[in-house]
Amino acid sequence: MKSISRMIAAVRNLLHTGKVESDLDAELRAYVDAVTAERIAAGMTPEMARRTSLADFGGTEPVKQAVRDSRAGTGIATIWQDVRFALRILRKSPGFTAVVVLTLALGIGANTAIFTLVNSVLLQAIPVSHPEELVVLRWSAHKEPESTGMSGFGDCTMRRSAGDESGCSMPYPVFRALAQRRDLFANITAFAGTADLNLAGNGQASIASGELVSGTYFDALGVPAALGRTLGIADEQTGADAVAVLDYGYWQRMFGGAPGVLGRSVRLNNVAFTIVGVADRKFTRLTPGKSVDIYVSVSQAKALGLRWGATEDPQSWWVAVVARLKTGIKRTEAEAAANLAFRNATMHAPKPAWKDADDPRLMLVPAQDGLSGFRRALGEPLRLLMAAVGIVLLIACANVAGLLLARSTSRERELAVRFALGASRRRVMQQMLTESILLSLAGAALGTFLAYAGSSALAAFASANGERPLHLNVVPDLRVLLFTTGVALITGIGFGLAPAIRGSRTRSAAEMSRGATESAPVTPSAGRRRPGFGSTLVVLQVALSIVMLTGAGLLLRTLAKLRSVDAGFDTRNVLLVWINPELAGYDKTHVQALYENLQQRLSSLPGITSVSYSSGPMLDGGLWTSDVKVEGQTSKQSVDTQMLRVGPRYFETMRLPLLRGHSLALADIRSGTPSAVVNEAFVRKFLEGRDPIGLHFGPDDKDSPKWTIVGVAKDSKYASLEDENAPTAYVPLETGGATFALRTAIAPAAFIPAVRKAVQDVDDNVPVMKLRTQSESIDRLLFNQRLMARLLGGFSALGLGLACIGLYGLLSYEVARRTREIGVRTALGAQRSDVLSMFLRRGLAVVALGSVAGVGVAAGVTRLLGSLLYGVQALDPLTFLAAAALFALVGLAACLLPASRAMRVDPAEALRCE
Amino acid sequence: MTQTQTNLLQGTLDLLILKAVGDAEMHGLGISRRIEQITEGTFQVKPGSLFPALHRMEEAGWLTSFWGESENNRRAKYYRRTKAGERQVHVETKQWNTIAGAMASALKA
Repeated sequence: MKSISRMIAAVRNLLHTGKVESDLDAELRAYVDAVTAERIAAGMTPEMARRTSLADFGGTEPVKQAVRDSRAGTGIATIWQDVRFALRILRKSPGFTAVVVLTLALGIGANTAIFTLVNSVLLQAIPVSHPEELVVLRWSAHKEPESTGMSGFGDCTMRRSAGDESGCSMPYPVFRALAQRRDLFANITAFAGTADLNLAGNGQASIASGELVSGTYFDALGVPAALGRTLGIADEQTGADAVAVLDYGYWQRMFGGAPGVLGRSVRLNNVAFTIVGVADRKFTRLTPGKSVDIYVSVSQAKALGLRWGATEDPQSWWVAVVARLKTGIKRTEAEAAANLAFRNATMHAPKPAWKDADDPRLMLVPAQDGLSGFRRALGEPLRLLMAAVGIVLLIACANVAGLLLARSTSRERELAVRFALGASRRRVMQQMLTESILLSLAGAALGTFLAYAGSSALAAFASANGERPLHLNVVPDLRVLLFTTGVALITGIGFGLAPAIRGSRTRSAAEMSRGATESAPVTPSAGRRRPGFGSTLVVLQVALSIVMLTGAGLLLRTLAKLRSVDAGFDTRNVLLVWINPELAGYDKTHVQALYENLQQRLSSLPGITSVSYSSGPMLDGGLWTSDVKVEGQTSKQSVDTQMLRVGPRYFETMRLPLLRGHSLALADIRSGTPSAVVNEAFVRKFLEGRDPIGLHFGPDDKDSPKWTIVGVAKDSKYASLEDENAPTAYVPLETGGATFALRTAIAPAAFIPAVRKAVQDVDDNVPVMKLRTQSESIDRLLFNQRLMARLLGGFSALGLGLACIGLYGLLSYEVARRTREIGVRTALGAQRSDVLSMFLRRGLAVVALGSVAGVGVAAGVTRLLGSLLYGVQALDPLTFLAAAALFALVGLAACLLPASRAMRVDPAEALRCE
Repeated sequence: MTQTQTNLLQGTLDLLILKAVGDAEMHGLGISRRIEQITEGTFQVKPGSLFPALHRMEEAGWLTSFWGESENNRRAKYYRRTKAGERQVHVETKQWNTIAGAMASALKA
């Protein structure tokens, strides 16, 4: 009954605020009037009666407020009132509001965007059912196994540590032996890839990334089909139909998500495959960073012409294996048993992969860690970026705190007036709280928007510039958004409430009246304490942004150093074109003819000065090394050398100078004469001053060719710009895919359409797999450094800007606070330059203190950048000096504005206005 | 104003107001004077306590109000006790008697 009555009252109060308020006014007025009338009747003069009755009443406002507080629905009404009031207040100082909101938004946005990327690369669970159960089978031994081939597709890291080799590729028969152990594994499956497959039959021929999987793959992972069916055991049997399952994203991109794709026939490497299904939408990857377009059975490897994919060869190490343990079996037990089975399968084969002394072991590693993919390559830079955005958030919060503190001082009098008019402490706090929350929420809203924009921009940059295309899931992470917003709220509330708490502590009428007559905007004690804390906040910001600037500076210098590295050949104006005629069914003899044909055809294009080809490009991330024995070398050991198969005119096209002898001529290549060109490092390291021309070298077995050295080329970079020049041998390209290199007279990108057309004219079954300029390739190699330099550069610019706003705010506040003092000083004869230097000194002292602290911290942390740096020390004094100098310069500008405002203070004005 | 004014116990104000209004119609000052009278000057209710209580009790449905003419022909807000208000008097009187009795015997002991 009572509650219903209160509820109705609440609605009435909220709906008819005006009526309720005017009624209250009238009621109270009537009360005062009645008391006054009584007193007049008792003989008081009317004025006296009115005054005393008003005084006894104790002020109408507090009574009204007390009535309002007792009313139903006051809470909602006050919140609404507070929100409106806060909006009005914030609108009145748009500069302050904009800076706080933007600062918070940048802090929140940057953190969320970076963490989203980190999450999708490093932390996100494998999108299969119960990913925590998956283990990857990983071996280690004192040496690599004896094999005919060891492939790694980047699923897990091949490591060479403390004399041990480890990896997770294994021969398919070994996988079969392990799969027999149903007592250990509930599920076990093998996979390998991706392989570039030439896909025809869906518009123009294109390249699809194909994953070869065993029949148990989808069942073991628990991945259902989004459409049709997935692959099963039956598809792995010899003689099974050639069928393929599409990745969901690929199906959307390339087939428009059409359900009619089921039953359709496509040609993969010239073999007809029937599409039988599409994998689940959620299944985007198994290994982080690996994007698969199409899944086919391992048993199709042979038909696809993938020589490494030999399911029966016990010496070809090529599949990775993941498994789920049988319930009830401990990992250690399973590991011991699996280890035995593995050793049995590898060491008691007709051709043992290891001897007992090699001590091979098999481990079961949680797949989340074991399937590292590109996590290792990107992991470290991303972790550093996390630290950087963390610093940005810290600077942002310090900045907002400083701004709120400075502002609170200017509002001290407003608060004093409100307390004097009878506002309760709770009421004022609630109001300040509303303001802070509004500011923080506005920052969070804008920050969310920035997070969306930022994370998709980052993903786009990563997939456009990384080694391979990435399909990252970059929806901003809700948890981080909540966390950063929480931090922003706490900062806002903490520092927004400070004045209300302090104000309510000093709320005596005496303080108030002193404030009015002496008109000092701050009480002396507060005046002493607050600027100290404000300066500390700014010192913190300066220090943190110096740390960021130093880090960014080191990376920029690294990038500059890397770009100025002499590659040994002319990297400008080269267009690289990847083709693989074998995928279109060419055999060895026809490949030769095709390449000659293409070389001629491309050379005849206007604007192209020279054309050649090689088994792969230089400075694109790829590297082929081989163990060779060099004739006449004293040591019995074979030596590791970098190899590149090249076509005629390669040295001329790349502008890689030949120092001695001659190049590989077309005749050499066509006749199959095993001649070779080696580089200076090869001669220096292996030939010890002997004349290289005419010497022989080659792999240490009877079947392989022995090349004769016919020339010596200048050293050049092959795998990366950072590496030392290593011994390299250039041998004739006879077969296999190739990368054509086109030396162009003008910017190479302009030739792309013409080149595509020329290749199509020669044979439209041969797809151009990739087209890239040599400079682009180098940029991709420098991806990590570029990403880091760009982001750290951006973040440190942000930090610099924020710190300068903080500095500016601090000094502006000081100037405002000391306007009267400046007036007095000037009136007493201080020169304007004295005033200017007084404030400049104050500002620069803060900068100096912050710089010293910042340089100190930077010196401690820049070594974390170590692995990303090249040609520059982590403690590079020039960079440290430059960072501090840059800050000093920008900081000076930030100080000059308020200081010059102080200088222009008119003493008469200053003394009068207060 | 006497300095020896007794502080109103929390909760007694409502009962006093309901008792003071009785079956009559009264405005704020009237209620205040009536309380002073019936408590023989022990309790003086100030507007800062009176009006919030009146509004609260009205919203609780114990009092109802209307605008009328005061003795000196001015518009004033009058309060009247409702049925719920009468019930509340019984409830609170019982409570008060219990407390008072308990206190009295406690002090005698």
